[in-house]
Amino acid sequence: MANYRKKALAVAVAASMSVALAACGSGSSNSPSASGKGGGTLTYYVRSTYDHNDPQRTYLGVELANWNRMVYRSLVSFPMSSDPAVAAKPVPDLATDTGTSSDNAKTWKFTVKDGVKWQDGKPITCEDFKYGASRVFATDVITGGPNYILTYLDVPLDPKTGLPAYKGPYTTANNDVAAFNKAITCDGNTITYHFKKPWPDFPLAVASLHMMDPYRKDKDQGDKSNYQIFSNGPYELQGAWDKEKGGTFVRNPNYDPATDSTDIRKALPSKIIFDIGKTSEQITDQLIADRGADQGAVTQQSIPSSKFSQITGAVADRSVSVESPFVDYLVPNMKRLTNPVVRQAIAVATDDTGWVAAGGGPKSYKPATDIVNPAVSGYQSDLFPGGGGDPAKAKALLTSAGVKMPYPITYSYPSTPTADTQARALQAGWEKAGFKVTLDGVADSDTYYTNIQEPDQTADLDWAGWGADWPSAITVTAPLFDSRPNLTANSNGQDYGAYKSDAFNALVDQAQASASIADQTKYLQQADQVLAKDVAYIPLDIPIFFMLHGSKVMNYTTDPASSSYPELGAIDVSSSVK
Amino acid sequence: MTQSESQIELLEPPPVGVVVEDKVAGVAGQSPTRLALGRFRKDRLSMIAFVVVAFYVVAAILAPILVKFDVIHPTALNPTLLNVDLGGVPNGAWGGMTWHHLLGLEPRTGTDLLSRLWYGMTFSLTIALTASVVAIVIGTVLGIISGFSGGIVDAVIGRMVDVTLSFPQTLMLLALSATGVALFAKILPGSQSDPLPNAVYEVLLLGLFGWPGIARLIRGQVLSIREREFVDAARLLGASRSRLYFKEILPNLWAPVLVQFTLIMPAYISAEAALGYLGVGIHVPTPTIGNILKDSVNYSQADFGYFFFPALLLAIIVVSFNLLGDGIGDALDPKADR
Repeated sequence: MANYRKKALAVAVAASMSVALAACGSGSSNSPSASGKGGGTLTYYVRSTYDHNDPQRTYLGVELANWNRMVYRSLVSFPMSSDPAVAAKPVPDLATDTGTSSDNAKTWKFTVKDGVKWQDGKPITCEDFKYGASRVFATDVITGGPNYILTYLDVPLDPKTGLPAYKGPYTTANNDVAAFNKAITCDGNTITYHFKKPWPDFPLAVASLHMMDPYRKDKDQGDKSNYQIFSNGPYELQGAWDKEKGGTFVRNPNYDPATDSTDIRKALPSKIIFDIGKTSEQITDQLIADRGADQGAVTQQSIPSSKFSQITGAVADRSVSVESPFVDYLVPNMKRLTNPVVRQAIAVATDDTGWVAAGGGPKSYKPATDIVNPAVSGYQSDLFPGGGGDPAKAKALLTSAGVKMPYPITYSYPSTPTADTQARALQAGWEKAGFKVTLDGVADSDTYYTNIQEPDQTADLDWAGWGADWPSAITVTAPLFDSRPNLTANSNGQDYGAYKSDAFNALVDQAQASASIADQTKYLQQADQVLAKDVAYIPLDIPIFFMLHGSKVMNYTTDPASSSYPELGAIDVSSSVK
Repeated sequence: MTQSESQIELLEPPPVGVVVEDKVAGVAGQSPTRLALGRFRKDRLSMIAFVVVAFYVVAAILAPILVKFDVIHPTALNPTLLNVDLGGVPNGAWGGMTWHHLLGLEPRTGTDLLSRLWYGMTFSLTIALTASVVAIVIGTVLGIISGFSGGIVDAVIGRMVDVTLSFPQTLMLLALSATGVALFAKILPGSQSDPLPNAVYEVLLLGLFGWPGIARLIRGQVLSIREREFVDAARLLGASRSRLYFKEILPNLWAPVLVQFTLIMPAYISAEAALGYLGVGIHVPTPTIGNILKDSVNYSQADFGYFFFPALLLAIIVVSFNLLGDGIGDALDPKADR
């Protein structure tokens, strides 16, 4: 699956989000007016701007899924299926097969299909894939995306910085290009990756993320390409992408369906319009009214709880509710909350029941007791108490810690009407336990994650959301709490609380070196227990995606591959919606 | 309104050397303030507005004390009184109205709406009051200086007024909010997230955009006052500039200042609500009328009571302040016919 990040933001806004990769599968529903021909215009409503459209920088679950179905094909992709077992098995996309591994999964080989083309008609070559991967190493330019290959690819580390000796395609100074050329080799149409350690689930990473996607060197302008979309899929961007408003996608004449599989993408609508900037309330009102272009509209925003009473009758038939693959959690800032007993007191006092109720209740959220989603291997149900919190016990803990009460804490979160109310629920619970809580609702949600990645951020607790990149806990706890790849001078990476634990890091190393999935899971569970003991996070909820779509949308589906967002590979719109 | 010639003659002070005090005392014996108060008391609408405003103000002052003594509960949660299936809308008619919760409950938390509004009134009125004071002080001081000095000073202040009036105020407030609040957060003690920087930003910007109208009005008054003999007398006696401004002229300006104040207050109360709605003002969880309205508009269909009562409360207080301002204006200046 994918990173929740801003996804989660979107959710918080509305009320809910998310789905479980393996679990609930699809809420395929619908479609009342499925009679008649398809191929109409699909409108896709998005509340807030996307951070990146660059394949190597995209890390939002919804973007990863949408761009895969529309514009960025990968070597292998996840098929559209509601069956978790099928959905978690990549199928060939730009490659002829799902890859062959050798040397204990340290070497992976793929062959690029013949006849696959970019939107300007030029063929996609092995060198394009190699160039795409090289961009990930430019950590000063290509920011925000997944960085797994920095730790896996067989490029020596610079002993001074601890980062890879290869620094990407944009610099020549002190850059070990030869090492990179050895790590990824091209032989005709065959690309070979050499890794330092075994990576048995490498095809899963390729299928769920866009970091290994091809990139055309002559189209690369570094950071300026952030919102450029140079397609190799069934659609291409008409004109430019407007960060604040979105863009319109039309059919790509150089896309040949014969090179593709209808298991991955059917590409049915003739036109797809991304409309950014309306609030969840506005989007929901428009979809309830169901007029004009909104009849062919879908959205990634969940229905806000203030609109629940209007989702009845025919409108309810156009709504779909699925459990998301994400988990929302609180991150204690280890630089400020240095006393572990104080962190325990916060965890014990956290009113998870009030949090869920304030967010709209069970239609919006399910309480969580682990940062790992129940659909992901490595989930444990007894790590945190959950429930309504125990202020008396928390107060006793605070007293035993010998700190001055009321103990002041600041909670930072992306502000929306729902999130503000939820913050008040947390505040009420904490204040009963002897804390003095300041709520810091960040109005500009576009920059929220950038803010909490600041090494000197002043909040004591941050809200965050995450979903596994692929269905293993190794893509949850390791990227979020391993201090080594995350903490740098300018950024906390995804380790927002600057958590640093040798015991945890050692267990992650053991998990990554494990030959069997069972061993790996065992070490990851132990690592998660270390996190729980240190209160490196406090789990809050699993968002529910409760989404509405227009009456002329046909074959509305969500599945694990789409992170439970609308599956753009399958959805069609009646031809009457132009 | 222009005075008729005969009235001007009547108002002219008696010639030097003629003692008239006894005569005046014998005729009336009432100070202008008492006269104005009498007129005000006779106007029933103004009295009603005054009582409503006084009630609001006293309630706003009492709210923090009542919170302290646990009489009203603006933060308490009552999740059991909510309908979970409808996303946390209160059970019962009119947003869960009962004897315990006279205006019903806030959706999703079950917090008593009356408590929240009551406590929110404190913040809203404090902001409106402070911003009004800022605007009045700046406007009055600059108006006196401008009107009394004339010449280049008058011209400069006059252009400042023009420039300020031509700024799109709401747009500026929105555009500058992020940088402005960050700036105050740095200057003022306390953390970035404290509500204080937001409040200071809001008050200062409202005040800084509110003074020009007042300055113009005061300048007009000063232009006529400065020609009066008592000013000439003070000047001949060698009074300093500040004495002339604040001891001789200012006491004659209380009436227009008071009227302006009661008219600018409701404007700022609604401005606070509008800015809270746009997300510029004090942030949640601090309740203000604007914050509550911002959330409640989403419930216009799901929970009408939650939407209706805050809006009604805001409407009543703004109308009351406006009527009070009109009433005071009429009482102080009876020649201005309605």
